[in-house]
Amino acid sequence: MSVARLGAFTAPDLPSLEGIRACVHCGICLPQCPTYRVLGEEMDSPRGRIYLMRAAAEERLEPTEAFARHMDLCLGCRACESACPAGVPFGALLEATRFQLARRGLSSEPRLLTRLIFAVFPHPGRMGLLLGALRLYQRSGLQRLVRASGLLRLAPRLAAMEALLPLVPPREPLPELIPARGGRRGRLGLLTGCVQRHLYPQVNRDTARLLSLAGWDVIVPREQGCCGALDLHGGRLGAFRRRARALAAQFAGDLDYVVTSAAGCGSAMKEYGHWLPEAAEVGALARRVRDVSQVLVDADLPLGRLETSVTYHDACHLAHGQKLRNEPRALLARVPGLRLVPLADSELCCGSAGVYNLVEPEMAERLLDMKISRILATGARVVAAANPGCLLQIAKGCRARGLDIEVVHPVELVARALPA
Amino acid sequence: MSVSTRSIEGALAEIVGRERVSAEPRLLVAAAIDGRPPRWVVSPGALEQVAAVLALAHDEKLAVAARGSASALDLGRPPARLDAVLDMRGLTRVTEDNPDDLTVSVEAGITAGALAARLAARHQWLPVDPPGWQSRTIGGLVATNAHGPLRARYGTLRDLLLGVRFVQAHGVSTWGGARVVKSVTGYDVPKLMVGSLGTLGVLTELTLRLHPMPESELTWLAAFPSAAAAQAFVACVLDSTLQPSRVELLSGAALRACAATPARAAVAIAIGSVEAAVRDQGALVEDFARRAGGGAAVAPATFWERYDRAFARGDGEMVLQVASLPSRLADTVDAIERGQEGLGSGAAVMITGCAAVATLRVTLTGAELEGAARFIERLRAFVGDFGGSVVIQSGPIALRAGLDPWGPLDPATLALMRALKDEFDPHRVLNPGRFVGGL
Amino acid sequence: MSLSPAAVKELQRILGPQGLVTTPEGRLVYECDMHTLYKGMPDAVALPTRTEQVQAVVDLCRRERVPVVPRGSGTGLIGGAMAPRGGVMVSLNRMDRILDIDLANRCATVQPGLINLWLTRAVSDRGYFFAPDPSSQMVSSIGGNVATNAGGPHCLKYGITTNHVLGLEMVTGRGELVRLGGKAMDRPGYDLTGAAVGSEGTFGLVTAITVRLLHAPEAVKTVLASFATIGEASETVSDIIAAGMIPAALEMLDAVIIRAINAGIGAGYPDRAGAVLLIELDGPTAEVEVQGERCAALCRRHRALEVRVAHDEAERALLWKGRKEAAGAVGRLTSSYLLQDAVVPRSKLPQIMREMETIAARHGVLIANVFHAGDGNLHPLICYDDRKPEELARAVRANEELLHACIELGGSVTGEHGVGVDKAENLTLQYSEADLNFMYRLRRVFDPDGIMNPGKLLPSHPACAEGFRPSRPVLPTGAWI
Repeated sequence: MSVARLGAFTAPDLPSLEGIRACVHCGICLPQCPTYRVLGEEMDSPRGRIYLMRAAAEERLEPTEAFARHMDLCLGCRACESACPAGVPFGALLEATRFQLARRGLSSEPRLLTRLIFAVFPHPGRMGLLLGALRLYQRSGLQRLVRASGLLRLAPRLAAMEALLPLVPPREPLPELIPARGGRRGRLGLLTGCVQRHLYPQVNRDTARLLSLAGWDVIVPREQGCCGALDLHGGRLGAFRRRARALAAQFAGDLDYVVTSAAGCGSAMKEYGHWLPEAAEVGALARRVRDVSQVLVDADLPLGRLETSVTYHDACHLAHGQKLRNEPRALLARVPGLRLVPLADSELCCGSAGVYNLVEPEMAERLLDMKISRILATGARVVAAANPGCLLQIAKGCRARGLDIEVVHPVELVARALPA
Repeated sequence: MSVSTRSIEGALAEIVGRERVSAEPRLLVAAAIDGRPPRWVVSPGALEQVAAVLALAHDEKLAVAARGSASALDLGRPPARLDAVLDMRGLTRVTEDNPDDLTVSVEAGITAGALAARLAARHQWLPVDPPGWQSRTIGGLVATNAHGPLRARYGTLRDLLLGVRFVQAHGVSTWGGARVVKSVTGYDVPKLMVGSLGTLGVLTELTLRLHPMPESELTWLAAFPSAAAAQAFVACVLDSTLQPSRVELLSGAALRACAATPARAAVAIAIGSVEAAVRDQGALVEDFARRAGGGAAVAPATFWERYDRAFARGDGEMVLQVASLPSRLADTVDAIERGQEGLGSGAAVMITGCAAVATLRVTLTGAELEGAARFIERLRAFVGDFGGSVVIQSGPIALRAGLDPWGPLDPATLALMRALKDEFDPHRVLNPGRFVGGL
Repeated sequence: MSLSPAAVKELQRILGPQGLVTTPEGRLVYECDMHTLYKGMPDAVALPTRTEQVQAVVDLCRRERVPVVPRGSGTGLIGGAMAPRGGVMVSLNRMDRILDIDLANRCATVQPGLINLWLTRAVSDRGYFFAPDPSSQMVSSIGGNVATNAGGPHCLKYGITTNHVLGLEMVTGRGELVRLGGKAMDRPGYDLTGAAVGSEGTFGLVTAITVRLLHAPEAVKTVLASFATIGEASETVSDIIAAGMIPAALEMLDAVIIRAINAGIGAGYPDRAGAVLLIELDGPTAEVEVQGERCAALCRRHRALEVRVAHDEAERALLWKGRKEAAGAVGRLTSSYLLQDAVVPRSKLPQIMREMETIAARHGVLIANVFHAGDGNLHPLICYDDRKPEELARAVRANEELLHACIELGGSVTGEHGVGVDKAENLTLQYSEADLNFMYRLRRVFDPDGIMNPGKLLPSHPACAEGFRPSRPVLPTGAWI
């Protein structure tokens, strides 16, 4: 794009004016928006946010701290995109706008914490070190001491992070190749995800096992980095693009698909083409990305019975980011004996949203509360969700309320139905 | 301008023509409302004449009451004043007819029977059927919001009146609503006119939504050993996919009046649809009736005619309109029947009414005045607890003079109604004193 | 008119720290509803959660002589929920609770902010539904539906909002809290409930609504009939009604709209049709079957290209999703459009559709059609580019001509969207000075100070102002013997 400026916005990476103008202000997005549901304010709704972007683009408004606040409070769940009859690309508009705000130093995100998060989360090595320390913290009795001390009340965001932590499991890296069993169908790359590989290694293990049983050679590049999703959502487009290029190099081999069972990663990777239109290898990777449910839904799997009632929560980056609603449900429904109980507002964000629950703990907690109450209403004792962020968040909610509800990734349930 | 009585009469004659104004004592007595004869009876022959008469009345501070068939003249309080009765029966034209749109516009004085005859020829109807409806004028039905068994499916005139022309107290002819089936242009003035007893304006022309007549209709009479069983049956019907056009409750006494097979209580339920659907739904009706501890059988084709004859006005009756709730139907019936004892020996009570919305019509015969007043007050207290009301639709003046025929209204709401009347009829030209709160 | 600092402080006290919006960013996004051509920023936005707060806000605004502008979900199409004269916007969307569901009496009482569809969701498992179904029902509030007397596709059979409102709790412009109507029918006195429905917030702010619930029908049959031309589809509609059938819904969509919908969710509308009719019949199974056959026969008589019956609930839901999101989907074709809502007698449908083609050609505008054909309620969307004033001017002229044509055929200015600012001046087409003056005085009864949603619903005509005297019949003068 040769335009240097769009009202108050400046090149590069201007929000798309066409995208903004596609909004006809119908409001169908409102009830789908988590922040609107909680706050009931137009400026914290998708329609309102687009209106603010438009006002800035038309020079009716200078981006201010207040403007940035309304953009920051958005979870980026993209439920509005699913609802939008006019096809407004809200996610891309939000990310571009956040990039504009970040360049102006306008973000009400707490800087220190954000910096800490971004210094650790996208770096699998650093993440591993941090988690090792946390494992010690949990098991040495220090956690109990700190919780009892009330120290955490002084730092609500730190408290949010602390509360989110599940029991950190020991590290168990996957081999670099898991060969296909049964009729061979082809070769897949597996993206293990920064958070998932450390906190939910069993999800990756089950994913690899199922894929291999379904006839795929599963390649797990040891040196794979971060997909850049967190950078993208935070408006750090430069870092995002660097990570995307690096990842494309790591998955450059002869692969039919690149699969992930972390919805947030899959969603970001599928959008590489939009943000790096000139980088052919990145676009090629994006086109090969699949969520695990897409690959397994019609795979030949030797499934036994699993008598259980399960309710399914739609991870935003699966349902809205990747438009995958039926596949994960269909996958679960294949398990004999498994009863899928509908969850009210299943597509309403649980409040996790990447690192949102760490930087906006209050809003995240209110959304979690809504989610938990709806889960309870289903009567199911098992909740399935296809994203590590959701698993962390919902599990925390259940733990804090003393609920005996198991929170799992769908592949874990499917794997349980495999013969031992 | 202040003119003598004779000159007002002259002015009226000039407006409507000499032969359309009468001050003949015999006629005036016959036109009396609650025993109060007017000074003139004016029978306009054209809509513009109504406007001119009211303009004159306004300037002369006369009180004017419009009447149609006179079948509901004792609804409301006795008039505070009365100078002229406007007899609307001369205004009977069909002003616009759109059979393919299912709409018709008529002058207020046309009778429902005359209109029905015209509409039946094309298999359409105006589904409003209070007992005696055929002889009543459309204007009168609207002004009193009269309703009958068909309200179960079609609602009331509130749901059927699309547009209305009326003359305001100062003689200005005014239109509200539209001639098409759907319009939200401006305020919903037709709603304001339905049931307003001509106190905001004299209705002159009405545009109505029509319905196609069902191809086939059958009525089942479901008989029950108690009102509670009848209520259980009605609840079953309402909580089902049945689409009845009438769900009429009849007490034992009401059944006798229709010469139907005796029972403690009954529900006459009519199904109108294509023939096959009528049959299917009838089977369901019979099943529901059995389950509620009663039995249903197809009623003779003449049932609704007999019903109409039985409950069209009789002499010496008092008729009450009781608004209850479907969930309190049996309670209300029982309360009414229990209260019967205080009405005096020889008194009888008949209950009919739309069970689907629990609007009951209670006919008292041979009741003593004081007993009736106590009966009404007790009933008001009973249904008032859950928002219901009891309106005296007809009864002796003595009863309505001592007891507000409309019953109590919430003061804030009544204040709003008074403000409305003050705005549109500050000099109290239109039917003064007869409406709620003496408006 | 703007708010004094003291008034803002008082509002904050009434509404609490989270209940009042005064930032420029916040006020800006409340400057329009779905009709974005009309903009007017409020001085403050109140977000009450309780009736007492609503009453206190109205009281304050009465004392300060400041406009009160109600808003629900802001999905109106008439510029009703915006503040042309500033003042306090009262956004009632936080008052969204269901207060009572009473299926024994087939009614529910809800707060005004409750989203229309949520009420049906709350009772559908027990077989009930709330009949008014404006296309915005997945977002519009019941309070907003009451304010505009909203319609929708299924109003053909079931009637519009007013036919389903049993009672209202309302803070009037006089500052009083009144309860009108209720669960029991036939409350004595004037039907103020009926008068208040559709009054667009000019009588007061509704704080609770008792609505009728209906039992779901035994059978539903959804038929999609496609035609080569709009003319054939229109004639079919007129014939269905003239044959004495009242389908639950009878909707028409033209080629432009079909394209927009299919570009989005791909609802399965036939791409090549000039027009389609979406016909839904409901009721007893046998009746639906017979009437379905008759409708299909009428479609074929008018040379339908295809008559297809939705074979399951999913297909039916998809067809309706396409229909309900049509106005939003038009965003794929144009950034802006004028949306007309006039009504013609149903027998005049073929005539007005021909007229519309002529008008579109004369002004060189693209007109998309998606509307409630069964009750003659047109919704032409006249497309224009809001960056080209000349295009807007042509769209406006086409719009005006079309409206006049509808009125000449005996129609109405608005069938279900309401008046707002958009159609206020058009009222003179349908009403005389006397009629307008009556409405003006009616409004004054509820709002003597003229603070409730000023500038909406009535035209700036002398008949809608103090001191106007409508002409009266000439009376005979002199003395008579």
